[in-house]
Amino acid sequence: MNFKYTAISFALVGTLSACGGSGSDAEVVTPVVPETGFTFVATDLITNLTDDVIVAGYSALAAEGDALLLATQALLNSTSQADLTAAQEAWKAARKPWEQGESHIFGPVDSMSIDPHLDSWPLNTTDLQTQLAIGSGFDAETIKGWNDDVQGFHTMEYLLFGDGVNDNTKLIAELTVAEREYVIALAEVFRDYTAQLDDAWQVSHNPQDANALPYADLLKAPGSDNNAIYSSELAVIEELVNGMIGIVDEVGNGKIADPFGDSLTTADTSKVESQYSWNSLTDFADNIQGVRNVYHGEFTGSADKQGIIDFVAAADSALSIRIASEIDDAILKIQAIAGADDMPFRQAILDETGRERVATAVTALGKLQTSLESDVIPLLSDWNAQ
Amino acid sequence: MSKKLTLLAVSIASVIGFGATANVSAATSADDLAKAIAKQEAEIATLKQQLQELAQQQSEQLASQKQIEIAQQKQSVAVTEVSDTVVAAADRYSKFSFKSYGTANFTSDEYFDNVQDTSPERRNRFDLERIVTEFGYQFTDEWSMEVEIEYEHGGTGAALEYDGFDEFGEFETETEAGGEVLVEKAEIRYRPSDAFGVKFGNIHLPIGLSSTLHKPNQYLTVLRHKSEAAMIPAVWNENGIGVYGEIADFHYQAQVVSGLNSEYFRTYDWVASGHQKRFEHVNADDLAFAGRVDYGNFKTGSAVGVSYYYGNTSGNRNKSNKLNVDGSLSIVTVAGAFVEGPWVLRGQYMYGTLSDSDAITQANKTTPGLRPGNFAQLGSKSQSFFVEAGFKLNDYIDIPMTVFANIDYSNPLMEVESGAATQRYENTWSSIGVNYFPIPEIVIKAEGGLQQVAVASIPDTNFFALGVGYQFSL
Repeated sequence: MNFKYTAISFALVGTLSACGGSGSDAEVVTPVVPETGFTFVATDLITNLTDDVIVAGYSALAAEGDALLLATQALLNSTSQADLTAAQEAWKAARKPWEQGESHIFGPVDSMSIDPHLDSWPLNTTDLQTQLAIGSGFDAETIKGWNDDVQGFHTMEYLLFGDGVNDNTKLIAELTVAEREYVIALAEVFRDYTAQLDDAWQVSHNPQDANALPYADLLKAPGSDNNAIYSSELAVIEELVNGMIGIVDEVGNGKIADPFGDSLTTADTSKVESQYSWNSLTDFADNIQGVRNVYHGEFTGSADKQGIIDFVAAADSALSIRIASEIDDAILKIQAIAGADDMPFRQAILDETGRERVATAVTALGKLQTSLESDVIPLLSDWNAQ
Repeated sequence: MSKKLTLLAVSIASVIGFGATANVSAATSADDLAKAIAKQEAEIATLKQQLQELAQQQSEQLASQKQIEIAQQKQSVAVTEVSDTVVAAADRYSKFSFKSYGTANFTSDEYFDNVQDTSPERRNRFDLERIVTEFGYQFTDEWSMEVEIEYEHGGTGAALEYDGFDEFGEFETETEAGGEVLVEKAEIRYRPSDAFGVKFGNIHLPIGLSSTLHKPNQYLTVLRHKSEAAMIPAVWNENGIGVYGEIADFHYQAQVVSGLNSEYFRTYDWVASGHQKRFEHVNADDLAFAGRVDYGNFKTGSAVGVSYYYGNTSGNRNKSNKLNVDGSLSIVTVAGAFVEGPWVLRGQYMYGTLSDSDAITQANKTTPGLRPGNFAQLGSKSQSFFVEAGFKLNDYIDIPMTVFANIDYSNPLMEVESGAATQRYENTWSSIGVNYFPIPEIVIKAEGGLQQVAVASIPDTNFFALGVGYQFSL
């Protein structure tokens, strides 16, 4: 019986191959796979983004940390208003790479809790005043042991710019000895943390283990033998896209919407981040600029490299252009909140026409967030990743 | 039986009667006589048969009577057996004990949105604070056990696990729902005499009065004393062994137990959250000593007492390479209670020191995944106290009610190793209220008061609380 079937199948195979000899054999040998998904080689994209955007950003932050420490140290015995202005500018300069970097706030900045050490908000002004009133000879090591709400960006901001209620200028004569000592110690703590963060990306991602790889290497070589964090390029792209979504959500629904409230009466200026320096709108715009950097794969003005835009374009070129314009639109709408008379955010939320401009910006951010979530995220499962 | 005998008698009488009549007619003919004799013989035969049947019935009756007697005997044996079982069961049951107590609260507090905020907002909340069940069993005169299971905030819970195999070593949380179910006590006791006993397993530490007085009728405030909760674990239980006993009016306890873990010490409650109940396993590389001596009995009336706790806390950290100092912790309490006539007066002062507090702060701040939030800084010294005074109205009006006043104070950040301690965590709660006992097992409480933070720019806030509690034991 078996023998018979075998014989029959041999006969059939023989007949079919005889046919194949004369017809087109491609259809018979290769099974037809319906064309689903898209193909894209992501290696260059990941390498560019890691080196030219993320690592470059943290290294710029560390450099600004050094500069900020120098600028604050100049204040110790200074009576020159120019020194204070220079320190204020140094603060703003450090703020820029940090805020742009919030679009990729994963890895060491998260695992080493660097974020709260650098950027805790709100500031605990009550405790700060107490420390300034009773303490003296502040040093960095002591301050590191204190709670995060009396150190970092916003404490320095408060000391350098004043309370920000009516203006964001402060006279050098108003700067007390305790404030000068405190801000210098804070800048040193800040410098140390930014250096740690930079090292984690470029030297070793685990400060306790000298043999641990730099975090940049983990990102650039997903799926390699000693990489326990990223198993594939897909995992890296997913992390990057989710990072973008995270900050768009935070700016639109947190940083802007929280103090904005649902009406003029529920608006709360005490919740406005960077309110002392009146730097809020620059912060928000830089946050979305960070999204733009990741999306395009390079800082604005640099030579074109691959970014998430190329990944999206491989699947849908119209979508890639639409997202790019939505990002630019969100940045413009945030900047436009200032209006013709350059109103700071904390004033704009208390102003009828200002509030309209804020609402427009929130809508633009919402639109961008929706596009990223419902149009870009699904591409991850359509991608025929290597 | 009597019916059958009557029948027999009647039939005999009729036979004799017939006989008499036959005699008269017998004379008339021999044929008739022969007939009569035959008839008589037939009747005698019937009679014999009837007698035989009767005898059989009697013997059957005897047999059934015997059976009844046997059954009765069996029954009485069975009754004895059952009564023995019941006695044994009652005996076993008397060795089993069950107690339960619980509280549900409504609180209305004012809170601040963030550290900048100085205009408080009111928040009203309900909380099924806890339902506690206690099971006990007295195996013998000396050996007994007790298990206490607590359902907090309506049940289920979360466990935090430390996964040492992950890259940095990682803290993982598994959350089940809003509340917690926990075994608060699981101890075996050996008590040969009043003067001396040993208990081991998961035992209550005699540090702080809340461990002793935690049933709702044992304290006057709606919530348990806030001052104690801001310093040490409330109803503090650990794994270990302890000796205890009473000699005259003195009660003593001495224990060696598992210590705290400094990874979870936080600014706002000092060492309280270092209680290792959040982990599936309790690290026991650092043990602690706890002791207490009371004169009198806090549970039943007036007493004074002191307690002391000492132990290191760094050895129990999951990440052992982060800190190489002891982090030794010592806590001392002094407490007193005066309960007499209509008066209830209780108070406690607690003082603690923590060595290497700066190093612990730094290690907690920089451990990946630990996230102390903004509360890493630790007090090298900490203190708290409370005083509650109650007056029972029972004797004066016909309502079982106690009015009370209470002050709780705590400062977990009393002093820091370097720099000045912020006063933000220095709190005083002052309140007045009532306890009403509709029946002795149930207490309904109301309390209103003022919370003051020592920082001048933070305004005082008012709080109000309602609570109901029960307790009973079988």
